[in-house]
Amino acid sequence: MAASSPSWNLRLLLLISSLGGLVTPGSAFLSDWSRWTSSAPLEPHFTGCVSRDQETFRCWWSPGVFHNLSSPGALRVFYLKKESVNSEWKECPHYVYSNRECFFDTNDTSIWITYCMQLRSQNVTFYNEDDCFTVENIVRPDPPVSLNWTLLNMSPSGVSYDVMVKWKPPPNADIAMGWMRVEYEIQYREINGTHWEALEMQQHNQQTIFGLLIEKEYEVHIRCRMLGFSKFGEFSDSVFIQVSEVPSRETTYAFTIVVVFGIVGVLVLIMLIVVSQQHRFMMILLPPVPAPKIKGIDSEMLKNGKLDELNLILSGGGMGGLSTYAPDFYQDEPWVEFIEVDAEDADTGEKEDQQASDTQRLLGLPQPSSQGFSNTISFPDDDSGRASCYDPDLLEQDTLIPLATLRPGPPDDREASLSDVEAQKSEKKDMALAQTQNAGPQTWVNTDFYAQVSNVMPSGGVVLSPGQQLRSQEGASAMQEETQKKGKDSKAGDETEEKKQKEQQFELLVVDPDGSGYITESNAQQSSTPIISPIPGEGHQTLRPQPVEPKPAAAAAAAAEDNQSPYIVSDSPFTQFNAPVSDYTVVQEVDTQHSLLLNPPSRQSPPPCLPQHPLKSLPAMPVGYVTPDLLGNLSP
Amino acid sequence: MMSGNFRSASVGWVVLVCLVPYRTLTSTDAAPICTNAQAGCHVLSLANLFDRVIQHSARMHGISNDLHSEFEQYFLPSKNQIGRVGRNCHTSTILTPNGKENAQRMAREELTEVILKLLVAWRDPLWHFHQNMAHHQHGFTTFSSDKALEMSDMVHELRKGVEKVAEKMQLLGMMSDSVSSQASSEALLPPDSAEWRLMKEYDLLYCFRRDSNKVQNYLKILQCRIVPEHGC
Repeated sequence: MAASSPSWNLRLLLLISSLGGLVTPGSAFLSDWSRWTSSAPLEPHFTGCVSRDQETFRCWWSPGVFHNLSSPGALRVFYLKKESVNSEWKECPHYVYSNRECFFDTNDTSIWITYCMQLRSQNVTFYNEDDCFTVENIVRPDPPVSLNWTLLNMSPSGVSYDVMVKWKPPPNADIAMGWMRVEYEIQYREINGTHWEALEMQQHNQQTIFGLLIEKEYEVHIRCRMLGFSKFGEFSDSVFIQVSEVPSRETTYAFTIVVVFGIVGVLVLIMLIVVSQQHRFMMILLPPVPAPKIKGIDSEMLKNGKLDELNLILSGGGMGGLSTYAPDFYQDEPWVEFIEVDAEDADTGEKEDQQASDTQRLLGLPQPSSQGFSNTISFPDDDSGRASCYDPDLLEQDTLIPLATLRPGPPDDREASLSDVEAQKSEKKDMALAQTQNAGPQTWVNTDFYAQVSNVMPSGGVVLSPGQQLRSQEGASAMQEETQKKGKDSKAGDETEEKKQKEQQFELLVVDPDGSGYITESNAQQSSTPIISPIPGEGHQTLRPQPVEPKPAAAAAAAAEDNQSPYIVSDSPFTQFNAPVSDYTVVQEVDTQHSLLLNPPSRQSPPPCLPQHPLKSLPAMPVGYVTPDLLGNLSP
Repeated sequence: MMSGNFRSASVGWVVLVCLVPYRTLTSTDAAPICTNAQAGCHVLSLANLFDRVIQHSARMHGISNDLHSEFEQYFLPSKNQIGRVGRNCHTSTILTPNGKENAQRMAREELTEVILKLLVAWRDPLWHFHQNMAHHQHGFTTFSSDKALEMSDMVHELRKGVEKVAEKMQLLGMMSDSVSSQASSEALLPPDSAEWRLMKEYDLLYCFRRDSNKVQNYLKILQCRIVPEHGC
């Protein structure tokens, strides 16, 4: 034999072992090492020993390269059972020469006892110590039998399904009694695949395979091994699983058809209804988009201008119950709308000043054309004060006009008319007034049109919440000093100029129900009107009735020049200009002098002449709402 | 907070559930086995006891197998040690039936006694084995050390369980009273019981794996004989 013979012999050994149906290499005896990895045994050796039921076992041998020993009987099998110290080698109890197999039946098989195998030829003994084992460690159970499958369920999409696989334990293993306790392993794969998917091992006689796909054929087989041991038995015969999707497709088709027809029918019905113009059905099918509406207020009522009803509702008396002092209510209200409506009434100067902001007009702010300010609400007749009692601009004293008033700074002609009243006031009032006068032009902030009334004091004072630009403190103090003097034109003008340099401020002008026009807070205090009360908190300005003092035209002009906020912040010793004035305040009523009363006082004797005003019918309301119609009525 | 409470509660439940079968097996000093359904006494049927004991022995064998495999993996003897080891088990002196038929032919008392002998013989060796692993590490993982401890505990518990079964069987008259009671179990120790100290740990594991398999099978045979079940 040349050097090529070892490799040739190796291949021969492999071939023989495979033909002999022996266990695969690597499964011999205890370990799973491949015996072929080690030096290929060329001498006669055992290729493996296996027990199927833990009661018998078999061993196979091979002559190796010793072909002369391949004939039956040339090699003899001896085994040693290490039961006692004196145990000796015995010969194989049962030969199966066709398989080169030695079979040990139950009488010769002892569990938990070490067996060692030996091959002997006539004069040579081939013995490998590795060929010792105990029977329980070489047990490879037979595969389970009667493997079958049933469809468990189908996925809703009809794409996958689950299958329940059942089997019976191998018959020749005494598993029922418990002599052998086995666990099963199922493996499956697609027919044309190479990778077997193994499921978790378990001891029951059934298992579910999840997630098989339709239109695919699967191959399933099973094997088992003893619990607590490592050697698997052989695989069972494969079982094939396939589920087609025909039934599901049919149901899908039917379902689709039904749905399509249903939709078509519904569409036809809708079209018929629409075409036939059945209003009732139209309403059901295509309900009208609801117009924006305020809770408790009917839009029709607004349009019709039923102000009294409206005001009732707004004051909370109605069922709608608007929160009377909700600041949000005034936000983003189209107040401008009202200004525009009454713009027609303001002839003098108003129309000239087309560029004047609506806010200013609403407030009666002194326009660039240097109109005075009027005590009328908004509209505008701010050029001349209404001295006449019958000025249609004025509102009746006994009625409250729920309108946020934006008084511009310095009054002009009106103040002149009120000078008498003013004279009665103390210097403080003047201060305040002048302050307001002076501060007015300079305190206008262009950005915010409105001061918002955030709260109304029980005493009647109105608390305004700050607007966007709050800078009243410095201006207020400055103004305070400067308003020491009487608000005269010249002085006002000086102060106005000084005020120009000040920060923008908010001022709120409170209409004096006394008919004196406007008074500052301090004035209000001293006038001992019960409505005056300390203003709490920062950021709020309380409007107090304030005597209106004549304003210099210069101040008005100055006011017009500056970015004027439509507010006048009233100054008082106990009120700080800490915070900006809020955007709105509500005009409670308009007195005889065309002053807007924000804090209606206790009912005093009305002035001799009660100006007629169109809003007579309006009830007293803390918070008001004026429609364009009402405003139209208000203006002359 | 909630998750913490829930976790602790669930842990408590798990512990409780795990301890329940142990308690029933090991409460030797607690409530004795009740006869005639005494009031306030939870009677465990013999079948139930057998089930628990067999489950226990199965788990014990599983752990011993795991440990043995781990040993083989890390301290793999290059050669098959079985030839050498087979002679060195300290329990080799205990006569045990080596086949199914032999075991079936054995009397219940004898079989029960064999089981108890085996379990008693392994109490000390496993305890010291665990001690060795815990202290010297030998490169074992904590996992192995825990298993060794568990194994040691299980032998102890299983022995108590089998004693309970024997008591019950004697109470029911299925077995004579020749089986040694709890006190005399110590007498079952093999005389030369110090031999195990000489064994290496791997050999010890191998031997215990074999013996736990024996115990498991004997219990099965016993159960099949005493508690009639399907398949027996």
